[in-house]
Parts: sequence; C-alpha cells; structure tokens
Amino acid sequence: MRRWLAGRMLQAAVTLAIALVLLFLLVHILPGDPLAREGERALTPEQIEDLRRRYGLDRPLPSQLAAFLGGLGHGDLGTSIEYGRPVTALLLERLPATLLLGGAALLLNFTVGLWLGVRQAVRKDSREDRWLTTLSLTGYATPSFWLGLVLAGFVGVRWRLLPAAGMHDPLGAGDFLASSGDVLRHLILPAVTLSVVSIAGTMRYQRSAMIEVLRLPYIVTARAKGIPEHRVVWRHAWRNALFPVLTLFGLWLPILVSGSVFVEAVFAWPGLGSLAIAAVNNRDYPVLMGTSVVVALAVVLGTLASDVAYAVLDPRVRRS
Amino acid sequence: MTRWTLGAWLGGLAATATTLGTPPARAQAARDPSAAVIATGAEASVPVPTLMEGALASTANTDVADQLFLHLAELGPTLMTSGDRAFEPALARSWTRRDSVTLVFDLDPRATWHDGAPVTANDVVFTFRRARDPAVSTRLAGVLRHIVSVTAEGERRVVFRFAYPYAEQLYDAVFHVAPIPEHLLGRLPPAALATSAYAQAPIGSGPYRWVRRLPGEYVELAANEKFFLGAPAIKRVFFRLATDAGARFNMVLSGEANLMDNVPPPRDNLDRVAAVPTLRVVAVPSPILGYLLFNQRDPRDTSRPHPILGDQDVRRAIGLALDRRVMVRATFGTSASVPYGPTSPLLWIGHRTPPPARANVAEARRLLAARGWADRDGDGILDRNGQPLALTIMLPNTSGSRAQLALQAQEQLRQAGIHIELERLDFSVYTERRGRGSFDIDFAATSQDPSPTGLSQGWSCRGGTNFARYCDPAVDSLLEIAGRTTSHAAETWQAVLARIESDYPAVFVYALNYLTIVDRRFANVRIRPESLWLGLREWTVSSGARLRPAGY
Repeated sequence: MRRWLAGRMLQAAVTLAIALVLLFLLVHILPGDPLAREGERALTPEQIEDLRRRYGLDRPLPSQLAAFLGGLGHGDLGTSIEYGRPVTALLLERLPATLLLGGAALLLNFTVGLWLGVRQAVRKDSREDRWLTTLSLTGYATPSFWLGLVLAGFVGVRWRLLPAAGMHDPLGAGDFLASSGDVLRHLILPAVTLSVVSIAGTMRYQRSAMIEVLRLPYIVTARAKGIPEHRVVWRHAWRNALFPVLTLFGLWLPILVSGSVFVEAVFAWPGLGSLAIAAVNNRDYPVLMGTSVVVALAVVLGTLASDVAYAVLDPRVRRS
Repeated sequence: MTRWTLGAWLGGLAATATTLGTPPARAQAARDPSAAVIATGAEASVPVPTLMEGALASTANTDVADQLFLHLAELGPTLMTSGDRAFEPALARSWTRRDSVTLVFDLDPRATWHDGAPVTANDVVFTFRRARDPAVSTRLAGVLRHIVSVTAEGERRVVFRFAYPYAEQLYDAVFHVAPIPEHLLGRLPPAALATSAYAQAPIGSGPYRWVRRLPGEYVELAANEKFFLGAPAIKRVFFRLATDAGARFNMVLSGEANLMDNVPPPRDNLDRVAAVPTLRVVAVPSPILGYLLFNQRDPRDTSRPHPILGDQDVRRAIGLALDRRVMVRATFGTSASVPYGPTSPLLWIGHRTPPPARANVAEARRLLAARGWADRDGDGILDRNGQPLALTIMLPNTSGSRAQLALQAQEQLRQAGIHIELERLDFSVYTERRGRGSFDIDFAATSQDPSPTGLSQGWSCRGGTNFARYCDPAVDSLLEIAGRTTSHAAETWQAVLARIESDYPAVFVYALNYLTIVDRRFANVRIRPESLWLGLREWTVSSGARLRPAGY
C-alpha cells in the first residue's frame, strides 16, 4: 500500500509540474498587455516600459518561467500588478471564503444528493421517483450563472428574504454568534446555486448504484431475516452503493476552488473566483498564475484523494 | 424505512431558511442610519497618494484616498483648472503668488493627522520629494515635471517654484497628490512603503480615518471627529465591493448598499430604481468621452498614410453620415450628449462651445463622390479603382453601450454606401491592438482629467496616447499656446477644439453623465464630478426621512 501510495503521489507531483509549466506558457502567450490601459490610466510608452522593467515583464519568457518556479518553491508567487501586493497574501485572504462556499456546496451535494438518490432507488417507479427524476434533470440542465441571477433577483432583491450579495453585512453586529448567522445567511443563495447541478448529478449516480445493490441476493437475505427496512437500506445496501459516488467526489473536489468563479461574481462572494476574473480581464499574470496553482493543486489532490479512498475501501484495487 | 416524508424535509428546510432570512427587529433598529454604504466595482488595495501608480491609479484607490487624505486645495464648482481663483481652500487656508513662477501656500494651523500630530510644511515637502522622484512615482513625476522645487518656510508655509509661467500651476500643485505624513514615513525607504503596515492602514489628514479592510468585501472608514473643517455628519463609510455591475445594482436595490456611481445599462434599470421609494438618481457630469477614432496610418504599414482614412474628406463624410444625436438618445436617453471636440462634461473648456455639426447624408455622399467614390457595381457599397469603401470598427467586448452605438453606426454608414465590419475584442487584446495602431476605426472611450492640457496626450503629434498617429502642427501650436496662456484661456482652448473638429481626426459620439444612485435619507448631497464621493464630508442625514428597512 505504501509503495502504491508513494508511486501515486509522485505521479500527482509530475502531473502538477507539467500542468503549471503549460499554464504559465498559455497565460503568457495570451494576447493582451497588463500594463497598457485605457482612459484615465493610459500611460505613455516610456512609463509602460518602466513598469514592465519593474514587474520583470521585459525579461525573456524562459527567465520569467524560471523566476516563477523558483519563487513557487519558496511560496512566493510574485507581486500583483493590479493590487501592488504579494500574490500569496492575496490568495490566503481570499481562500477561506472560497473554501467555505465550495465546502458548503459539496456538503449540500453529498447530503441532499445521496439522500434523495437513495429515496428514489427505494421508491423506484413511484410518483415521487418520477418527480425527483424530472427535478434532477431540470437541475442538471440549469446553468449556474442563470440560476444565480434568478435567485439574487427574486429571493434577494424582490422578496428580500436573503442577502443578494457579499459575505458579511457591514452594518451587522460583531459578536461571534451574530456574525456566524450573518455569514450563513449570505452563504445560502450562492451555495444553493453552486450545488444544484452537482446535486442532480449525484442523485442520478446514487439512484443507479442503489438500484443495482438492492437487487443483490444478500439484500434479499437480509430482508428475509426480518432486519428493519431502514437498516437494510442504510447499513447494508447504501454502504456498497457508495463506491461509484466516490469517483464523483474526486471530480467535484476542484469545485472548492474553481467551480465558483461565475457564482462568486453574481453574488459578490469575496473568494478566489472574483479575484481570478479580475486577473483574467486585467492580464494580471502573477495573480492569474497564483489562482491557477491553487486550481491545479485542487484537481490533482481531488483525483489523488478519490484514488486513495477507493484503495482504502476496496482491497482489490490495492492489490492490483 | 425512512420515516420523514419528502414534504416534511422540504418544509423544514424552508422554515430554516426563512428564520435565517428574517432579521430580528432588534437588528433592524441597530442598523446605523448615519452610515453610507457605497457599492464599488474594484477594491482599494493601496489608497496612499504617492503609491497610486500604473494599475494602482484606479478609481477605487482614489475614492478611498480622497476621504483619508486632504489636498492643499480643491477644485471649485466651475471645475476651472486654469488660474488661481477657482479653487477652494482645504489643507491650505490661503495661497499667494510671489511672481509668475512662485506660489506660496499657508497651511491651516488647525490641520492634524489622524494620530493627532500637526500637518506641517515639511509633510508637503516630503510628499513632493517622493512624488517627483521618477524611480518612486513614474506617473506622478511625469505630471509634476513643471514643478522645480518645493520648500518649507517655517512650520506652516510652503513655497512652490515652477519651470516657467503657465495657467495651471496651482492645479498642478494641489490636484495630483495629497500630502502624506513625514513623521510616520520619513524613515521608511520608498520601495518599502507599498508593503508596509502603513499602506494597509493609512493615516491621513482627511475627514475620515481608516478602520479596517475585509479582503474582497469592503473598506470601512469612520468620521474624523476632530476634522478641522467640521466633523462629518455621516459617521461611517463603507466601500463595498462587487466586481459585477449587476451584483452592485442588486446590492443597492435590496438595501444592502445605499450609494452607487452609475445606473448600469440597460436603460430599463432606471425604472427599477424609480420603483424603490427610498432611492433617487442624481445626474453628475462624468469624465467619460466616447469617439470613433480614425487611424491616420495604414495598419499594415504605418510608414504610409491610411489608404481610405488618410483623406480628410472621407473622414468628414463619415462624420456627416452619422446622426449622433439619434444614436446617443437611443442608447443613453437623456444621460449623454453629443460633444463638440474631445470634451467630456467634466472638462470646463467644453462648457460654452458651439453645437456639433448635424448629420447631412447628402453632403457626405457629395464629398465622397468628389473624391471618386461611387457605386459602380450596384451592390450598395461605394468603390474606387475596384476597391470597396469598407472599414472595420474595433471595440472592446466589455462595453455594452459602445456595442449598441457601433451597430447603429454600421447601419447609418451602410445607408451612405460605406461598409463597416464590427470587431469586438477582449479588452486586453483591444488595448494591445490600439497601442500597435492595428485598426481602421477605434471606438474608444476615455476618462479625462479635469485639465484640458491632457488633450495633448491624445491629439498632439508626439502625444503618448495618440494611437491614431494624428498630427496637425497647427493643433500642436494651439495646444502649446493654450497650455501657457494665463489670460483668455477659454478662448484659446476653444480654438484648439475648433481646429480638431474641422480636421475630423475622430467623430466625437458621446459625452456621458453619471446617473448616481443616492439614498433619499442623505441631504445636502453634492456629488463632485472629479471624484464622486469627495464631498461626502458635507452631506447630512435627514432626520425626517423614513429609514429604509434592513433590506433582508
């Protein structure tokens, strides 16, 4: 197991390194100049050249890549052109909000999604199953950014049930309990928006896996032995129906940092997504690379975590 | 078997959400009526006057810095930048002129920094030493290049000497940079300031002091109760961030913010504001000017004139073929007008200009025919020597209003026999193409400074932002004279505008007014065009106004 794990980790590190080099090259090949601006900030060519020297953008690309990789080794991702501050500090400021939103979305996904999937399987072909199937397909087909606009417009602006934007009410009370409640209120709309599509996917996977398991002879035996139905479902069947969903977990994990870009913009959520959008628009290379590092890391770790979970739960995978 | 029905689960969820969503009555009463929450599109990262360089010279940083740091003097209501009389005292209580190149400022002895230390002449000298050092402040050093020296005479007197006599000496001394405290920064190396603790919690001399910044969310300021010009009535100010304009607008409509710089397009959004009884819209002259800029050089070989637009009559014909009034009304309603020359509503030189030329398609066709352009193959497009009169308008994909206007221009020019292709580009690609001069017509928008001397950047032969390579020695000469003249400045500047208008280096399409959203509970509202929230310190909170509900 240890050797397998070491090999898998090495593979993940190599994947990450290749991804980062490719990302660096792609970002710098993109047309556009981070220092040439329109309007009030229009600079003379001499001033642009001066700033280019200041940010090291006048150096050849291989030299910039070496500096980036060297800095990465020390946790230094450079200085943001747009913010004038270290990128690492900017990312650390924004990461908690993104993790909170992504974590809430994942939690909703894997609690509501799994639970509804199991209910559907248990009540296969019932009216509830058909309704939930319709609902899940609708959810799956709903674009997150559109749903976000609708929820913000109706729930936030028209009905004023929940905040339409931000993470804190600046005029809210300061004690921990009130502040937590405030964050929770702000979290509901973006988290629901972000999780609707993934809940629908998880429901479909869980329903299919559960239907397969419920047909197996050991379930028939368990029922014949008089074990209560909820125990048969949740203890005997559900555990074995979780394997296919684990793969999904690995795929959804990068949502923690990357999936929320548009949702963060719609709800003014102060996470990495809004930082990344601004960086793309302004060609703020250091911030763009910083957010890319985090996303690449999440993708690689998500896949690794999924593989490890499989290996831990299924000895056949370990042995192979 | 699961004992909870689906309905019960969903009911429970809805009840929880409703409970969380309904703020208790106590919280509503506790919301501060004397607070202003401004929805803003960018985050103030380093609101320190001498650090706002390059990308950091943003509206977000300026808006916050203007509350924290007081300038020596401020522009008066006329926005006149020429001469010494149109300004209002601020950190300096008065100024006098020793000679044509020497200005003397006397600081207000009541002025203090937020930490209680007095503001002295040495603070001003220190600030300008930093600001005029190209190694520290490239942009500022450029705009302050006419200042030869800044020296202190005693504790409260500062003497500015200029390289030569010109009309905007006072403007240069007071507008571009506000003093920063020497006693806190004097020992800090210039390069270390941006990453210092001071840059993250600046101490200034303005009406508001720094409280905190929640990254990605808001900057909070509190009223400086010892502000020597009078403590502000608005006690707390929040600059609340939402990069997406729709999210900002939602914040205001839902009561989570109560001020916003501009109603975002489409125009229907004005009706949405009107439907909220606690909000109103205040029109403010903006520095924004939109124009179709004609490339004077061939984009494929810039050593040659543009094969079509190098001809002044063709440029004039395009200008006459466009009904700019119709275009502007259809796109902006009454919130924009057609400018005369490159003048936004902010620029004082545009206040008494003649009306711009009206559309005249027949004259446009006559001009084109005289230059040999005719529809010989009957396809509706004019041609000459087998070459169709076809051009491309380049514009950034970030601007919805310019896209709308460009479509109208395309249709109007088609009716005059000119074929137009529209090219909507990613903003960064657009700015890069612009810089390289790789375009026929650039649908540009610029944000102008209050000073007309900025026109030389875009319209003089050697202007740093003259991307179309427009060059008219007569314009250069007039710009030079207008910049130096200390009398009859308005007439001289209008001669510059008249020359540019007659030469058609561009068609000036729109001059925009901001439609600022303001909560009705604020009274004595004066929104300053040069910096929208600068006058916040003079606003009051109307005691009779109904407080809006908590919002959610």
